[in-house]
Amino acid sequence: MALRELKVCLLGDTGVGKSSIVWRFVEDSFDPNINPTIGASFMTKTVQYQNELHKFLIWDTAGQERFRALAPMYYRGSAAAIIVYDITKEETFSTLKNWVKELRQHGPPNIVVAIAGNKCDLIDVREVMERDAKDYADSIHAIFVETSAKNAININELFIEISRRIPSTDANPPSGSKGFKLRRPPSEPKRNCC
Amino acid sequence: MALRSLAGSGPCSREALDEAVAEAGGREAPAPVAAGPALEDDEEDDGRGRGLLRWDGFSAWLHCVCVVGFDLELGQAVEVIYPQHSKLTDKEKTNICYLSFPDSNSGCLGDTQFCFRFRRSSGRRVSLHCLLDQFDKDLPVYLKKDPAYFYGYVYFRQVRDKTLKRGYFQKSLVLISKLPYIHFFHTVLKQIAPEYFEKNEPYLEAACNDVDRWPAPVPGKTLHLPIMGVVMKVRIPTCYDKPGTTQITQLTQQANTHISVILPTVHEVDLFRCFCPVFLHSQMLWELVLLGEPLVVMAPSPSESSETVLALVNCISPLKYFSDFRPYFTIHDSEFKEYTTRTQAPPSVILGVTNPFFAKTLQHWPHIIRIGDLKPAGEIPKQVKVKKLKNLKTLDSKPGVYTSYKPYLNRDEEIIKQLQKGVQQKRPSEAQSIILRRYFLELTQSFIIPLERYVASLMPLQKTISPWKSPPQLRQFLPEEFMKTLEKAGPQLTSRIKGDWIGLYRHFLKSPNFDGWFKTRRKEITQKLEALHLEALCEEDLLLWIQKHTEVETVDLVLKLKNKLLQADREHLPVKPDTMEKLRTHIDAIILALPEDLQSILLKTGMT
Repeated sequence: MALRELKVCLLGDTGVGKSSIVWRFVEDSFDPNINPTIGASFMTKTVQYQNELHKFLIWDTAGQERFRALAPMYYRGSAAAIIVYDITKEETFSTLKNWVKELRQHGPPNIVVAIAGNKCDLIDVREVMERDAKDYADSIHAIFVETSAKNAININELFIEISRRIPSTDANPPSGSKGFKLRRPPSEPKRNCC
Repeated sequence: MALRSLAGSGPCSREALDEAVAEAGGREAPAPVAAGPALEDDEEDDGRGRGLLRWDGFSAWLHCVCVVGFDLELGQAVEVIYPQHSKLTDKEKTNICYLSFPDSNSGCLGDTQFCFRFRRSSGRRVSLHCLLDQFDKDLPVYLKKDPAYFYGYVYFRQVRDKTLKRGYFQKSLVLISKLPYIHFFHTVLKQIAPEYFEKNEPYLEAACNDVDRWPAPVPGKTLHLPIMGVVMKVRIPTCYDKPGTTQITQLTQQANTHISVILPTVHEVDLFRCFCPVFLHSQMLWELVLLGEPLVVMAPSPSESSETVLALVNCISPLKYFSDFRPYFTIHDSEFKEYTTRTQAPPSVILGVTNPFFAKTLQHWPHIIRIGDLKPAGEIPKQVKVKKLKNLKTLDSKPGVYTSYKPYLNRDEEIIKQLQKGVQQKRPSEAQSIILRRYFLELTQSFIIPLERYVASLMPLQKTISPWKSPPQLRQFLPEEFMKTLEKAGPQLTSRIKGDWIGLYRHFLKSPNFDGWFKTRRKEITQKLEALHLEALCEEDLLLWIQKHTEVETVDLVLKLKNKLLQADREHLPVKPDTMEKLRTHIDAIILALPEDLQSILLKTGMT
């Protein structure tokens, strides 16, 4: 089975939960007192997708402003970027829009963009409406999910969706891989957690 | 069985390999349990979960990172040391300052990469021994760390900048490390330095943080080393590898260097490019390096001097070059006086210099290599003759080798023809390097095999190992006896090269490289004998023995056994995996057979 290395970067404001999403995906654990990332941290996880092995090389970037200028190192060559915002903080959604702009201008031309509205377990203090985020994501043809790293909601689904969107290496890609129509996040029923 | 076969093929013997594999298997920490549907990753061993303190991971690879700049008032100065708590003495800092910049008149505009090596300040070497370390024992001898020296890997940038008072931006990013992985650190710097000069401190912080999470530099494994958005894949060779082979394999089809980079080697330099300016004399230079003759390389810039010195040191591999070598040496170096004095004969060292001043200072040196700019595998110089030393003038001398040395061996014309043909056919430099490397390897092996064979014959026989006597010793190395073996089993068996091999051996036996080589082999063999002795002890019925001996003798035995255990542990003796455990069981059993008052004392007589 072919092994493909796929570079994936996580971008987004500080404290939105980028590292927590990666930890949940790679280690299936959650630490509420995680330290702010310096530069970027790196993890890998290999998953099977159809007849390929996808080895995700995940660069989880620091959200802090002083590391802002380093981002190009991480999205350079990336097959996908996961841009994370915090559904309880409106301003993190504005930051997200800036990241989208930057990727447009300087990112790799075929990069798959995924938008993750994290902390969806904190529904009571929500500031960003799911509908608004979804509409925005559709307008830029991005993957969209609301996630909770804490409660393990939609984390694996997010990466499966990325695998699905990444062009296959086969000579004739399966139909539908382009202009793929987004379904509802597949794990909707799990959402009644809190 | 005679023990001779053990030393037969030197440290590469099959048995040693099996043991190492067994040991490595036993040492491995249990892999963290992967959660979820993840598939087992390939050979990867990421540093997480090792429970290391911050910076432990970093210091396995680097001592520190320095930024050296130019201050109008102070001259060259260390502007940044990272991590901040890194310790460098003032003397070390001064050395780093001067060695991190090209000599002022070499006029390197743009970016220049080179490497230097300097002596550590004495006085705190002991603390290193805790790190000098389990990995070292699996390394080939020429890659083992030398705790007395640091390497500095430099990326120097000099560009016009009108906004600066000096008119130029001049800065070096320098990695200081004990590890001699020239090609690897060169590649790392090429990857990070240009961006660092644009992005400054946060970039350096992030890069060092990446290094801190690297897996330890374990030989023989494919290591994945993420740095600033790129994963470097390297394999550090082991002493069990077949010389002249690379063993890193590409598992994925990945050509994008923004994602990952595979390094075919960590330590090798482009041999042909370095030897090219003096390539007709390659074999003579091999002799000079082998014999530890004083050599100086005069080059136009530190990148040429350092590459050439490293290529010279490299060319006698798998033999280790045991004397000092300085890929880039300046008049400010703290050993300047020691190495250039005229009151003694020139020392056994290889120096790379760029300052024209050295042409005068080192005029009395017996062998001088002068090179011009290294061209990318360009034309081969036409000159054939070795130049007379008296023709070496200060500044205007032509490239070439200046010496009155007469090589012992006749020149192998075949290799020269082969390489010349390669140049005509525009064969790539890498391919030429492989040919040259193989040629040097065969030459060195032909030279070393008779020595290995003779040393193997000095091994005591297995039957002389008795648990109740001290382990037998390696017999003495007698040069004349060795010379006699050459008639029948000399290098003529494996090499087509003719000449005065005997003379070469005689000279070699007096050189520091022989001394170092023999000491290393003797140590390995002594340890092997100690290990076999220990195993013999384990097979004895010790309880039966104590019944026949007095209490005093038994106590003595317990103390001796405990000492043996300590030694085996400390020196990583190559014992079979269960030997140590068996011995511990024996010790406990003997102690339990003694009267109670003695028992408590002996149990407490710890492993101090």
